[in-house]
Amino acid sequence: MKERSLLWRLGPLWSLVVLLVIVYAVTVVTSYLGDSVQVQFQYALVNLVIVVALYMFIGTSGVLSFGHVAFVALGAWTVGLLTIEPELKRNLLSDMFPVLFDIQAPWFLAIFIGGLVGGLLALIVAPVLMRLNGLQAGIATFALLLVVGQVLTYWSSIGPRSGQSMVGIPDVLDLQTTMFFALGAIVVAWLFQRSRPARLLRAAREDGIAAAASGINVVTQRVIALALSGLIAGIAGGLFALTNRVVQASLLGIELTFITLAMLVLGGMLSLSGAVIGALVFSLIDLVLVRLQNGVELGSYVVSIPQGTRPIILGAILVLMLIFRPSGLTGGREIVWPFRRTPPLPGVPPTNE
Amino acid sequence: MNQLIQSLVDAISAGATLGLAALAIGLVFGVIRLANFAQGEIITASAYSIIFTWQLGWYVAIPIAILIGVILSLLMEVGVFSRMRMATPATLLVASFGLSFLLQRVYELFFGNNVRTAPVAPELAQSLEIGGIRVQLLSVATIIIAAVILVALVQFLNRSIWGLQLQAAAADFRIARLVGIPASRVIGLSFALSGILAAAVAFVSTVKTGAVGPPFGVPIVILALIGAVIGGIDKIYGALAGGFLVGFATSMLASWLPSDMSNFRDAYVFLLVIIVLIFRPSGLLVRGGTVRT
Repeated sequence: MKERSLLWRLGPLWSLVVLLVIVYAVTVVTSYLGDSVQVQFQYALVNLVIVVALYMFIGTSGVLSFGHVAFVALGAWTVGLLTIEPELKRNLLSDMFPVLFDIQAPWFLAIFIGGLVGGLLALIVAPVLMRLNGLQAGIATFALLLVVGQVLTYWSSIGPRSGQSMVGIPDVLDLQTTMFFALGAIVVAWLFQRSRPARLLRAAREDGIAAAASGINVVTQRVIALALSGLIAGIAGGLFALTNRVVQASLLGIELTFITLAMLVLGGMLSLSGAVIGALVFSLIDLVLVRLQNGVELGSYVVSIPQGTRPIILGAILVLMLIFRPSGLTGGREIVWPFRRTPPLPGVPPTNE
Repeated sequence: MNQLIQSLVDAISAGATLGLAALAIGLVFGVIRLANFAQGEIITASAYSIIFTWQLGWYVAIPIAILIGVILSLLMEVGVFSRMRMATPATLLVASFGLSFLLQRVYELFFGNNVRTAPVAPELAQSLEIGGIRVQLLSVATIIIAAVILVALVQFLNRSIWGLQLQAAAADFRIARLVGIPASRVIGLSFALSGILAAAVAFVSTVKTGAVGPPFGVPIVILALIGAVIGGIDKIYGALAGGFLVGFATSMLASWLPSDMSNFRDAYVFLLVIIVLIFRPSGLLVRGGTVRT
């Protein structure tokens, strides 16, 4: 009995370790598959961090957010402004506030500053947005995404003129470092998931009225969750800036929101395992599809799919998933120690109405 | 004065267009709690068909556009949404988001990334002088078209059995089923009507731009969806009024904001939306209560 209770306590840690090992292993394998795969997988890891951030908020609170990419965008913007050479900024981004020309930070620090800026925006908007539920929350966060997108596109005092992009971001981030950031994000999300605010939020997610009756201030807990996930999203934005090395508001808008949400839905939005596995599976399918679009030689045959079918297949996967397995690949459960006899702690399946 | 009236007419016509689009979303939402983001792709499909068939004459192009709107709308219901009856509105919204993304890529595959162009009803693209005031003929035509459709729709909803059943289902779907209103007919009807409305929106939008690309419907549906929610997506007329309001506000801001600020006009509208949602989460025109979900 004693052994079982120890396993019971280690169960959650086990799920964390498995996720870390999976991400590490997949990264190692892809790093042997040539440069283009490596580059693509670095993007996948950036997306993974965004999905983990989404999970920290959507998964625990049950509130839909289309706005996280706004925090990502701010993080990317910050890192862009802090790492581009002052001379280059003076020439290319001449309309900016003069202060911004000379502010510089080493890229590693800049990523965390980007995270803080993303978290700060989340903290500012949270007290108002977090009072909304369901569809209203979805629309309001969507509106936030669009406002931030417009401001970043057109306000040339804090970036390039409209339609132009920020270039000259240094080439410093490699696959391995990105992986460590991804692992770090997973650890933070795991710690958060076991914290008091996250537990209270899950209670409120399952039954808002009962939670409020038990004295949980749902809005406060949601603000904490949004700020923290905004921080992680901001860091993901910094990683994006250093990976893509070109930052433009149109890259950080509706499409990225859709893709990352699709990853979360694919894995199962109610568990960290769902977020990580969803992001990985989606990215790996994408990797295969990119190969197929370019043509793969199998013996004497060249197998290929027509250009442009890749996003169609990805979209179809999301829609089919929502129809046939709405709780995602993991069904909202964490990965558990496979050999114990007691039933695993259920990640509660999503309530249907 | 002249400029004010001109901008008012333009704003009313923009509001009318978005009102119709929002009404299409509200009709479906009232019945099955689906805020259909992919409504934009129905509009795009109708718009493509108008562009491709306009040279055959309006009496061919418009019925085909309506037919395509209705068929695509019903296909969405049968193929996707009817299989998700137990999902929450938020999940349905994500699904429709996915469907929208999917259809845009399909359009890209078939029609290419570039816009397809055709002069649709060029005779509407001139301005009209009434008592010394010049207004866009298209704006006036849009207002008239929207008014005619609305009157017909209201007649249908209030005078016919099917229309009354639809209203009953929108008010309370469960009770409506209890009293024997056939669910599938009402749901199909709401999708079909939203397809017709999509065709109407597609028509006035293609006359205005003369060009259609894969993301054609997206900006329309974003504003319409937002309008529907702030007006009260739960109520058919709330959605209509909200859509109108957003279209009107966007157009007025475009006309009257100083030029260095007009780039941000959508940002102002979205800020306004957030403020409305915070103070009246169930919609501007809905008294008390919250949206049933």
